[in-house]
Amino acid sequence: MIIRLVSAALVAGFLAAVVATGLQLSLTSPLIIAAERYEMQASHAPALLSPASLIVQVHSGHDHGEKDPSVSGGETAPEWQPGPGLPRMAFTALATLVGGVGYALLLGAVLLACGREPTPETGLRFAIAGFLAVALAPAVGLPPELPGMDAAPLAERQFWWVMTAAATAMGLYLIAIRRVPIAIAGGLVLIVAPHLAGAPETSHSASALPPGYAAQFAARSLGIAFVFWTVLGLSYGWAWAMLGRKATGPAHA
Amino acid sequence: MSTNTLVLAGTRTNERLGAVLMAAFLGLGLVFMAGFAPAMALHNAAHDFRHTQNFPCH
Repeated sequence: MIIRLVSAALVAGFLAAVVATGLQLSLTSPLIIAAERYEMQASHAPALLSPASLIVQVHSGHDHGEKDPSVSGGETAPEWQPGPGLPRMAFTALATLVGGVGYALLLGAVLLACGREPTPETGLRFAIAGFLAVALAPAVGLPPELPGMDAAPLAERQFWWVMTAAATAMGLYLIAIRRVPIAIAGGLVLIVAPHLAGAPETSHSASALPPGYAAQFAARSLGIAFVFWTVLGLSYGWAWAMLGRKATGPAHA
Repeated sequence: MSTNTLVLAGTRTNERLGAVLMAAFLGLGLVFMAGFAPAMALHNAAHDFRHTQNFPCH
């Protein structure tokens, strides 16, 4: 059973990652790279104009449709980071694959734990719950942010993110699967509680980043997450059925 | 007969529980690696993915 689960998760994670990577590279990566220019402008502004920062300023226009290899290379981070252009895209794709397979494994585990036979239909239902729990609910308190936007300390945000995702998932489970009045009430409380407790305060200081970028990024990010989860759920159910057919013969079809 | 069914059902539940735990553990590990791992190299590699999937970043 574990073999079938892991195999289906690999297939679903791969398919979802392919779709999500394509969307990320065409919709959000250009915005991230454009935002990094503003971030660097802000951090380099007091410094003397080094050749790198000159290049950044020259390129700080609104041509966010194309990737500028000089930009992420101009960042003077001492730590390793993927080179600009193709390596960066490749690592984005790799991270999406790792995340996709990870989420697919969790989806499979939850389906199995809830005693649901994974089909494209149940996969889709649970995947939409997954989207609500790890994408939409945390985004209500912590909107998807671009580099350079001010934010609360990382540890606080990560803690709130994990708590919100877990509470929302638990709440959805109580509402959609338990379905008795007391469970539904408890589920609603669990879903609302993290937002009443409040996300770590986002700083509202002005940023050089045009608000249009941030708004566009938040909308695209949630859209991509929705497509990612939809593909993940549908393909997990499909892959599970396909792998079962192979193992048990046509009788299972 | 009934003990047999019970044992069978027991192993099946155990197998299911094992699969659920194993998949959940692996899945959480992978998601943590892609979304939360604090190592700078991992952060930089997964940077654009983290921003897009709304993991807290930076």
